[in-house]
Amino acid sequence: MMAALTTSGAILLLIGCAGGTTQLDIEGDFPVPIMVKLPVALGIHLDTTLTTFTHAETFENSREWVVSIGPAQERLFSQLALGLFSEHTLTDSVYATPPYDGVLKPAIAEVQFSLPEQTRSDYYEVWIRYEFDLYDRSGRLIGNWQLPAYGKANQKNYSGTSKGLQAAAMAACRDAMAFFSINFSREPVVMNWLNSGMPDVQAPDSIDKTDASNTATSSDGRPV
Amino acid sequence: MSIRLVLIAFALWLGGCVTATVEQVRQTQTLLGDGDSIVVIGRRNRPNQEEAELDFIDCVSRKMSTGVDRVSMISEQEFRDAVFPWFEPRTAPLNTTDLPALLQEPVLAKRMDEMGLKYLVWLEGSTRRTSQGGSLSCTVTPAGGGCFGFLSWENDSSYEASIWDTHTAKTAGRISSDAAGTSYMPALVVPIPLIARVQSSACSSLAEQLRLFIQPDSAES
Repeated sequence: MMAALTTSGAILLLIGCAGGTTQLDIEGDFPVPIMVKLPVALGIHLDTTLTTFTHAETFENSREWVVSIGPAQERLFSQLALGLFSEHTLTDSVYATPPYDGVLKPAIAEVQFSLPEQTRSDYYEVWIRYEFDLYDRSGRLIGNWQLPAYGKANQKNYSGTSKGLQAAAMAACRDAMAFFSINFSREPVVMNWLNSGMPDVQAPDSIDKTDASNTATSSDGRPV
Repeated sequence: MSIRLVLIAFALWLGGCVTATVEQVRQTQTLLGDGDSIVVIGRRNRPNQEEAELDFIDCVSRKMSTGVDRVSMISEQEFRDAVFPWFEPRTAPLNTTDLPALLQEPVLAKRMDEMGLKYLVWLEGSTRRTSQGGSLSCTVTPAGGGCFGFLSWENDSSYEASIWDTHTAKTAGRISSDAAGTSYMPALVVPIPLIARVQSSACSSLAEQLRLFIQPDSAES
């Protein structure tokens, strides 16, 4: 009886060692981009979906890896905004109180990562797809766009999967920051908004009225 | 016991043999003035087999910044953070022809000027195990233990440095450093590793040649 218990205990221990979950956080500081600052006062709304974002993956014959990307986002966007905008603040909602010109709401739409043994390469790789919504002062959506980011870490530089994945995730975040810094004002949504003096989006009521006045109707009221 | 220790120490001192070759191509004259500094950075724009190891880059940078003819070096991470986001894998210039356009960014040009950056050294390459052979087995018994056998392996380091002059936005030259060596581990009770320090040798040769390339006057004096 005792021997059977010992054996089953050993088997459970082996199963526990083979499976299990490893939680990873993104550690380290993000640099402030050196750019000519845009003359924009921007609110940045980081909701809890973003700040608590985690991505879990279980690989074949491996344990579950949970990469906690959300907690690093406040540090990331604070540093980004510091270098990019003349003024910024982290807001609780998409409704910006003046003097802010608009509100940016980032979100993580998708995350993937791969290990060297999967790709038969030397690299841990992480892909993050961000989505950005830009709102006017009244909280109306101006437009949105996506930003794919990629980071890799050579396994020769890191001892173990945890450190390799952390480094690759950090590299993906830096890639997102770099691409955002250089391309923010070139995004068509942002470019139009900046070039037209950062106006508010017309309220749906006023759009309906304008459309109604400009739309010809038939005698039975149908648009022609 | 003391004889065994002496033997182990002798074996470690002896190590495996390494042959190193360094070649250089000079395209323009180089001169390092007071306050000028250099950065050695790795190419990371795409996943490839030739991405230099972080510790190798650090080794080259450290060796160049020490000794009698030391030069002022900026560490890779410090440089990347200081010029962020312009030298990230997706945004870094691929050729010297991209530099003038990049330096049109006033804040970047000002930052590089503040750092006194004169030469940018791009490093590519890696150290790989090219062959291995032999076998070694170890046994542990209540009465004691020991190993018996023989292992050998060959490592090959191949690195290339491309030196950019940030003031003229031209390639000043290229230096390649290759090293190869075979390590052995004979075991007669105790395994005795005879390690060929291939990567370390490639690092020393490359650092020395880079220093001579950038400061040719130091070789004459």
